[in-house]
Amino acid sequence: MTDAALSLTNVTKRYGAFTAVDDLSFTAERGRILGFLGPNGAGKTSTLRMVLGLSEATSGTLNVLGAPDGRSVRDRIGFLPEERGLYRRMTPIEAIVFLAGLKGVPGPVARKRAIAMLEEQGLGEAQNRQIRQLSKGMAQKVQLIAAVAHEPELVILDEPFSGLDPVNQQTLEATIRGLAQRGATVVFSTHVMQHAERLCEHVVLLTRGKKVFDGSVAEAKGRAPRALVLEGQLDAAATGALPGIASVTSTPLEAGGQRHVCALKANASGQEALKKAFAQGLDIQRFELREPTLHDAFIVLTGEQLDQPEMAA
Amino acid sequence: MRRLLRIAQREYVAYVRTVGFWLSMLALPLGMALLMGASGWMEASAPPPALVLIDQTPGQVYLAPVTQALTTRNNIGRPRNEVVAPPIALPTDPAAIGPALKPWLAGDSRLAGKRKLAGAFVVHGAGEAVAVDVWTDNPLLGATESVRRAIAGRMTQAKLEAAGVSPKLLADAQALEPKMTDFSPKAAGKASLLTRLPGLIGFGAAMLLWSVIFTGAGILLNGVIEEKSSKVLEVLLSSATVPEILFGKILGVAGVTFTVLGVWGGVGAVLMNIFAPEQAAGIGQVLFSGGLLFYFAFYLVCGYLMYASVFTAIGSFCETTREAQTLLGPIMILLTIPVIFLSQALRRPDTPALEILSWVPPFTPFMMTARAASGPPMWQVVATGILMLATVAVVMWIAGRAFRAGALSTGKVDLKGLVAKLRGGE
Repeated sequence: MTDAALSLTNVTKRYGAFTAVDDLSFTAERGRILGFLGPNGAGKTSTLRMVLGLSEATSGTLNVLGAPDGRSVRDRIGFLPEERGLYRRMTPIEAIVFLAGLKGVPGPVARKRAIAMLEEQGLGEAQNRQIRQLSKGMAQKVQLIAAVAHEPELVILDEPFSGLDPVNQQTLEATIRGLAQRGATVVFSTHVMQHAERLCEHVVLLTRGKKVFDGSVAEAKGRAPRALVLEGQLDAAATGALPGIASVTSTPLEAGGQRHVCALKANASGQEALKKAFAQGLDIQRFELREPTLHDAFIVLTGEQLDQPEMAA
Repeated sequence: MRRLLRIAQREYVAYVRTVGFWLSMLALPLGMALLMGASGWMEASAPPPALVLIDQTPGQVYLAPVTQALTTRNNIGRPRNEVVAPPIALPTDPAAIGPALKPWLAGDSRLAGKRKLAGAFVVHGAGEAVAVDVWTDNPLLGATESVRRAIAGRMTQAKLEAAGVSPKLLADAQALEPKMTDFSPKAAGKASLLTRLPGLIGFGAAMLLWSVIFTGAGILLNGVIEEKSSKVLEVLLSSATVPEILFGKILGVAGVTFTVLGVWGGVGAVLMNIFAPEQAAGIGQVLFSGGLLFYFAFYLVCGYLMYASVFTAIGSFCETTREAQTLLGPIMILLTIPVIFLSQALRRPDTPALEILSWVPPFTPFMMTARAASGPPMWQVVATGILMLATVAVVMWIAGRAFRAGALSTGKVDLKGLVAKLRGGE
């Protein structure tokens, strides 16, 4: 018996002539956090909808907590959709009790949990106000609580960080870690790599419906080169001629001069390039040896640039 | 079932909490009380129309019978008109009387007590050449007819007396009239309000069914549009099956509608038992005999399920009422057709048009409800019932697919797009 909470094998989803998900396979281990990454339109939401049983795969097989899709195990799944939605005239407690009730939690238990979780998220005073009177961030917290109040084994969060300010993003990251510590498997989609980098052990990268990477964050970052960043009055040609430099991307600085991001060759440490630059007397005002990020890895793996929305520090 | 009931409960509570629900609950009884009170008050407080009657015939032989005819009493014991003296000295030329009274007839001048002169009757001529000039801008049809009959009667009497008919014989002859009795073939006896009640109740029930379906489906439509626009539907779909959501909503709103109907019906029944116990007993007898109540319940459930499913499915594609209106056009036309034909069902429940429409499933609930009281052939009741049940099943199946596709859809959907989504299932 596999220890996977979720696995997809050669799953394809087509809408007419358009292929939203193309031959996708991956596995989410129980009790782990899996980042499901890709730019907008990569096929993340389509995949999650198939997992939940909201739409059917054109081909391929899914295994969701031992079932062919989420429909027969919906009480064991928590879902936060990309577009948040709650009954505006309900209070947070009513909304949580109602949605947890649909998942089989008795009213008094759900109510008790709702109060505790709202207090934990700093929403104790807002628990009896109508949701339409809450701020967007507060409403999103309420929705997340509603999605997990039944203590699901598998938590699916579709773009959970979108629309949250940096403080709330950090709070949400802590909540997701808490869910995993409790033993839940968390699958969250995002197009902001920083969250995945901080939260996940395992990431699946998707672009235009196709999987381009499936493995650990360290492995993904290993696919991208380290970079030497040089700033000052030096030109791209001189920078590119330094030893161990594979390529240079230059951008002008507001205060004058250039910022050169130099991708290092596979075995280059960057030390040689720096020594040579100083030996040549190049005008370097600032330098930095930068480890690759997941964002860098994504660009290398897909050749696409990601949006960079608001991020937590 | 647990989820279905929870969704139904939420729907019910959400609507019962609104001010609109309580306003709806109170609107009909208050409206009816106001209407009845207002019409009674108007009838009781408004003075009868003031009329001037001038008899220029020799001996003024028409003055007394015409005055009597104009001042007969209505059902609350008030005279229908009041014959008043002319406000000025009138000319002798009949053609000049109207112009002389014009300021009073036009309302520029008033009679004593600030009353308006409603009209003037000038009877002139003699013998068999009696004429009546009626001066008025108001529709005095009842009064004019009374005057015509009174004068015609008096003229006939004069003619017969001149021919030698004795006044007693004449009075006896005028008193002659046949004894008219209405019989009901169904009741095998005299027709009464009770024998006519089934037809009236059928018509009333069909109209009630129409308004209940229309109101309930409308509530559902608006509720689903709100859920779609606030993105709640996707959350629900991840928590319950499409039938659970669909039926939960339909059940919840049905609960709201029947609560209102129940309260209205209960209050109405109590009031009728107090103020009109005979009619109340009659209605009860009709409803609880001959299976009428069962028919009404059956057609109400089928009709409600059919239209509520369609409205809910349409709502799932729309984020605004305006979007819904474009998709609802054909259904609204369908819903108006029964209303046009229902009034015919009251007078002639077995006309071919009604019979044909009874076989069209979207109209079956209304038409058969209206016809049920007149006892249509049992094979028609059974066959149209089976046809309607099959249609309800198909409509609900399609509505389920549409609801699922609509709940997950984004952007505007026109009729063509809706059909495409239905065929694709998503």
